[in-house]
Formats: sequence, C-alpha cells, structure tokens
Amino acid sequence: MFWLAEGLVYRRQDSIIHSLDPRVKLIISFSLFILSLFSSTIFEFTILLFAIFLLGALSKVLRRMTKTITFSLTFVIMIFVINLLVGYDLIFSIIISLRFIAIISSSSIFFLTSSPDELDLVMRSLHLPYDLIFAFVTAVRFVPVILLDAVQIIDSQRSRGLEIEKGSIFKRIRNYIPVLIPLIVQSIIRSEELAEAMESRAYGFSKKRTSYYTLHFKRRDYLILCLHFMLVVLFILLVYFFHL
Amino acid sequence: MIEVESLYFKYPLSNDYVLKDINLKIGLGEVVGIMGGNGSGKTTLIKHFNGLLKPTKGTVKIFGKDTREESVAYFSKKVGLVFQNPGHQIFSDTVWNEIAFALKNFGFEEEIINKRVKWALEFFNLTQYKDTSPLLLSGGEKKRLCLASVLAWNPDFIILDEPTVGQDFLQKEKLIEIIKMLITQNKTVIVVSHDVEFIWLLQPRLILISNGVIVKDGDCKSVFKDNAILEKCGLTKPQLVELYEELYPLIEQMPVDIVEAHSMLLKLLRGSK
Ligand SMILES: Nc1ncnc2c1ncn2[C@@H]1O[C@H](COP(=O)(O)OP(=O)(O)OP(=O)(O)O)[C@@H](O)[C@H]1O
Ligand SMILES: [Mg+2]
Repeated sequence: MFWLAEGLVYRRQDSIIHSLDPRVKLIISFSLFILSLFSSTIFEFTILLFAIFLLGALSKVLRRMTKTITFSLTFVIMIFVINLLVGYDLIFSIIISLRFIAIISSSSIFFLTSSPDELDLVMRSLHLPYDLIFAFVTAVRFVPVILLDAVQIIDSQRSRGLEIEKGSIFKRIRNYIPVLIPLIVQSIIRSEELAEAMESRAYGFSKKRTSYYTLHFKRRDYLILCLHFMLVVLFILLVYFFHL
Repeated sequence: MIEVESLYFKYPLSNDYVLKDINLKIGLGEVVGIMGGNGSGKTTLIKHFNGLLKPTKGTVKIFGKDTREESVAYFSKKVGLVFQNPGHQIFSDTVWNEIAFALKNFGFEEEIINKRVKWALEFFNLTQYKDTSPLLLSGGEKKRLCLASVLAWNPDFIILDEPTVGQDFLQKEKLIEIIKMLITQNKTVIVVSHDVEFIWLLQPRLILISNGVIVKDGDCKSVFKDNAILEKCGLTKPQLVELYEELYPLIEQMPVDIVEAHSMLLKLLRGSK
C-alpha cells in the first residue's frame, strides 16, 4: 500500500526540473497534458510519451512515475477492454489507453516536482480566491498522511484476523468496511483539529496575505520555457501541417 | 515461543535497514519491555511478531512456524497486537460488536463469542457501554476497549504498543495488575513504552533498541544500572532507582515499588535512631 504514496507524493529532491520556477513546471506539464488530449495517432503518442519520460528522467522521478503508471494500469486495461467490447477497433483502443497514460504521467510531472508550497504560490499568482487555494493545497498535502493512516488501519484490522483478500467479490467489498470507517472518522477528526488550529493562528484575520517567498523568473526559467515552446511548435507543425 | 534470528528489515523503496541483526527468543510467561528513542524501530519490530511485516533477511518463527509460511490471521490468533491509536481500529456500531469482530473473524462459535465478549466487557468495566457507539467513549476508555477486544480471543502473546499514553494514574495501575495477572496464566506480555516509571513497576526483561539494533537485553535492574547505554538510548532512570543510588550503600537493594521503598526507608530511619 505504501508504495502507492510513493508514486503520487512530492519528495524534496535536487534536479534541473525541481529548481525551476513552479510556473514554468506548470506550463510544461499543462501543455503536455493538452497535447495528450488532442493527439490521435500512435506516432504522436510515441513522441509525447518519450518527451514525458525524458522529463521524468531529468527530474529523477522516473521510478516513481512508473509506479503511478503501474498503479493506473488496472484502469488502462479496463479502458482498453471496454473499448474493444463496445466495438472499436484495436488501434483505437490502444490509442485511448495511451492517451490515458499520457494524461496521467504528464500531470504527474508537476505534482512530483513541485512542493505543496510551490503549488500554493502558483495558484496565488493566478489570483484565485485564497480559501479555494488553501482547500486545494491542503487536500494535496494530506494525501500522504491519509495513506499512512490507511496503512496503520489495515495493519490493525489484519491483526484482528481480518482477511481483506478473502471471499467472494461481495465479501471482499464488505471487508473494506472496517478499513474505511476508521479512515473516514480519522479524516473528519483531523480536519476539525486543523480548522481549530488554523483559527487559533488567526487564519482569515487579514484580508491581504503576505508571503515569505515570492516567485521570480530567472534566466534559466526563460531559457527552458523558450526551448519548451520551440519543441511544442515543432511538434504541432510536424503533426498537423506535415501530417507525419 | 517467538524466535527471531538475524533479522534485517528495510521498508520497500527505502535504502536503509530499519532493523539490523536482531536476535531474540521470547518464551511463555515472560514480561518483556521494549524501549528506545523515537524512530528506533520498536513498532517495526513488533509488527514482525504476527507476520504483518516479513523479514528482508533472516527469520521470525512463532511456535516454530516461519511467519512467511502462514497468513497474518493465523499468527494473530496466537499473538495479539494492540496498536497505539484506537482510532485506527474502532469501527463498529456498538462496543459489543467491536469486541466480537475479531472473534467472528477467527471463526469462534456463537456461544463462545457471547461468553468471551461478556467476560471482556466485565473485566474492563465496559459493560454499561455495551450498546453504545465506541466512538463516544473517552480516549482512555477507547484504549481499554482495544485491549479488551484483543484479550477476548485469549492469545498466548499480548503485545502492547505504548499502552500508557493518555492514561490516568488509576488506569496505569490497573494495567499493571492486568499484565501481572496475565503472567500468572503463563501468557507473555510485551510492552513497548517510553514510560520508565511504568516499565519499572513491571520489572520486566528489558530490551533496548537504538537505531534498529538491540543494544541491551537483560533484567531491568541491571539495564538501569548501565549509565552509558541509558545515555545512548536517551533514557532517564526511574525515580526509585535514583533514590537507591542517592542512598546507596545505606540501602542495598533497588526498591521495585513505593511500598518497598517505604519499608526500606522506615528500616533505615529506625536503624539510625
Ligand atoms: N511505512 C513505512 N515506510 C517507510 N519507512 C517507515 C515506515 N514506517 C516507519 N518507517 C521508518 O522506520 C523507522 C522506525 O520506525 P518505527 O515506527 O518502528 O519507530 P518506533 O521505534 O516505533 O518510534 P516511536 O517511538 O516514535 O513510535 C523510522 O525511521 C521511520 O521513519
Ligand atoms: Mg512506535
């Protein structure tokens, strides 16, 4: 179970990509995401996935990215099979599955290389309402905490003789009740505690929040951004105008 | 009988061993204390005792059976683990069902389940709550409920992870009584704790862990004499041991509880008069 968190969660690391301005990381991640949505040939996905994995390698998160993908493989297979069953041909089903993988892995680039604090700063630079930002960032921040809780709960219930993977499919679903209830209760308790702790530290008291860190583009950021746009334009030209 | 042989363990994806070359034999009828700083690997170690975690290298055997060979449920029936946070296990609609949960999992007969649950409720003074939601109990009561729900299936080994956290003095005294009673029934109780005073009152065999290595394993009186090791593990001495050291050689023995200390001091005062 714990390996799951590894694929989703930010870890402090050193790499060229990590040290970029989070806005640049967001733009790169997001544009790859958009390209994944609009791509429709195996050739395009080969290039896209190559680019995504190259970025993953550069930011030293490749191993965890593949974890995320392995985890989502169940969905990929489901998508693939359903498409085939509904009557689409093989190539189309493969493309849909590749698109799913590309979407997941491109968006994971941002989340694997940007800390929740950076996410907070990026969303602020987009002038979103702070309550919304706070809720979103907190949700992201709590993913690993909740996963750890889940591990502890599963350990506790297994020590009381619960065998999650045993029985018919309905029995198995019922087996999750002793895990889900404590998980939900713990999360509610935690959110209440968090709200109280926030209020005791004057959350929402001043209308204008200041920030310890502010974002500044450096030369490196401009360079990478230019390079990125050039590659994207090249890709679009190749695919849409020269029909490669 | 729990036998641990050159156990090494690391969590998947991490590079460092959390447990290194652990060798242990724990028999029936023992009280064992496990102490060590935060993150030293105590919880990781006890999770090996019912097969929740399997060794990366080495073996753990429970009554002669390797933990890799059977399910966690199989070993749990003999080794009951009570975790620190009751919030991680309480889920039932009533206190009664919470205790009956494990008994049903282990496949006990209806009749025996009723008998055991009733016994556990009475033993832990929870009978008046049997139909209320366990979530409404106080923190200390929840902890008692967790202990009750494990003792209900009568395991041979009972392992408690930080049982005294959040407990008032009365509950701690009760817990000591319960543990001593379990020992008289030839059960083994293993207590993981940071509470030196509590551990001292149990007078257990004491195992000290530091950075995943057992640095000391022996009678608790001898362990608390070893200043170098105590410092290494960041442990303070129980007050009764300090009293003994202040007064030595006026009193020759370490008092195991207040009553003994009291009579020793009285004797001393009378003697010096
Ligand atoms: N699921 C996990 N995955 C990776 N590392 C873990 C996991 N659980 C614990 N660790 C690490 O293993 C080490 C030992 O942890 P453990 O919980 O066994 O310590 P402990 O002695 O019980 O500490 P405490 O006194 O705080 O309860 C710690 O460094 C911890 O960070
Ligand atoms: Mg612990």
